[in-house]
Amino acid sequence: MRSAVRGVLLIMLLSGTCYPASAQSDSAAVLFEKLRSRLDVIKDYVADVRVKIDISFMKVPPLNGTLYFKAPDKMKLERNGGISILPGKNVNLTLNSMFPAGKATVIDAGTDVVNGKPVKVIKVLPQQDDGQIILTKIWVDAERNLALRTETTTRDNGTMKMDLAFGRYVRQGLPDKVTVYLDVKEFKLPKGVTMDYDIKSQMQPAVQSDKKTKKGKIEITYLDYQVNKGLSDEIFTETN
Amino acid sequence: MLRLELFKIFRRPRTYISFLIMTAVTFLIQLAMYVDGTSFVSFAMAGVGEQFDIGGNILNGYLVTYLVLQSLLIHIPLLVALVAGDALAGEANMGTLRLLLTKPVSRTGIVLVKFAASIFYALLLLIWLAVVGLGLSILLFGTGDMINLKSDAFVMLLEHDIMWRYMLAFGFAALAMTTVAALSVFLSVFGDNSIGPIIGTMGIIVVLTIFSNLEVPLFNVVKPWLFTTHMIAWKGFFDNPVPYDAILQSVMVLVVYIILFIMATIVVFNKKDIQS
Repeated sequence: MRSAVRGVLLIMLLSGTCYPASAQSDSAAVLFEKLRSRLDVIKDYVADVRVKIDISFMKVPPLNGTLYFKAPDKMKLERNGGISILPGKNVNLTLNSMFPAGKATVIDAGTDVVNGKPVKVIKVLPQQDDGQIILTKIWVDAERNLALRTETTTRDNGTMKMDLAFGRYVRQGLPDKVTVYLDVKEFKLPKGVTMDYDIKSQMQPAVQSDKKTKKGKIEITYLDYQVNKGLSDEIFTETN
Repeated sequence: MLRLELFKIFRRPRTYISFLIMTAVTFLIQLAMYVDGTSFVSFAMAGVGEQFDIGGNILNGYLVTYLVLQSLLIHIPLLVALVAGDALAGEANMGTLRLLLTKPVSRTGIVLVKFAASIFYALLLLIWLAVVGLGLSILLFGTGDMINLKSDAFVMLLEHDIMWRYMLAFGFAALAMTTVAALSVFLSVFGDNSIGPIIGTMGIIVVLTIFSNLEVPLFNVVKPWLFTTHMIAWKGFFDNPVPYDAILQSVMVLVVYIILFIMATIVVFNKKDIQS
């Protein structure tokens, strides 16, 4: 009798601990699916943007231009004949690219506060292991169904963090400002080739940095959106 | 007397050879860029290109002009020395120096006029470089934003923010070429024919340029005092922000060298026993 009671208690205890966990996991998965389905509505957009690049070796003034996006990952910045700079092909500045494609395991990672707003944190692990993304952590404003921050660990490009600020285009789920923090490799060219004019470094021995990669930041402010206008793929082919 | 010196300079065919050489080199660089500039740009941008997608008209007139200046400002001193090195030594070689000294002009005056004529010639060379280098490149390749690759930085300048930099860069190049002219005139006072001062000028510039660019800690002590280190300060105008303090320091170093070379020339020429 005693052992039967013990068994029942054990079952109750186990089911008691498992039930909330599965409920939590479900809610995280639902949250993720809701987010993803909201993003899926945006097939393409054209936006007037202002891009600020803050990377140690890049001295680039703020760039105004038109940003073209087509789902899932096509992106192009056009600057009226000027030079445009965007992170390389493996790094995309859209939220879509931070979410793993296909099936994924979603784990509840608790709660946090982003810009004074309480958010739920979920971790998304892609079930296919041949993609670029290894893990994505998303800070979700569950109330408005918006991702306010993501942190994506990629296979080749280190960890990328993205902060999103919403305002005028919140109804469409599109951000007013996106700040991407990324790892960038050190940039070096032989001084004999560039023949730099740098009096200070000519007087002092060059200080070698231990770090091969450094943190960089790209800030995109969206000034205006035109959504789902049916962009053709030709826009994204380089014509220069 | 300056007019007479300029007449002497522009009467000689070798003066025009300099303009021809400069035109030919500029045209060759432009042709190479026109035919295969895209490969060159891809090669140069490889370090940045693997991390960033850079689009738009990178190979425009401003970039090509920068490449022309980078290549030619090493060679222009030779062209300046061709004329400035001949200033006093050429007269000695032709046996006209004593005749020149019979004129009612002081020896100091003669040195200054010869130097002024050499500067005038150097300025004309630079103006010609601006015409064929900047003017023709813009005509062939158009304008646009400019990318300047340094050994540890990628600098991008917006189209509307470039022309004033070229104006100041050409202005600085004029000062650098004046230094070369002063050195050549100084060496010219010792020679009895112009080959010695011309080769001497080039030799000094080549050796000091190697010192200025070699990454050996031992040379770091002397580098700031070499005029060749400061002759490339025109590049500073294509940085962002422009290192005005360093450029001003370079201007001062070059001005001091010019004064020293000319003072030394005057002293030596005034003491020299002219025999030809």
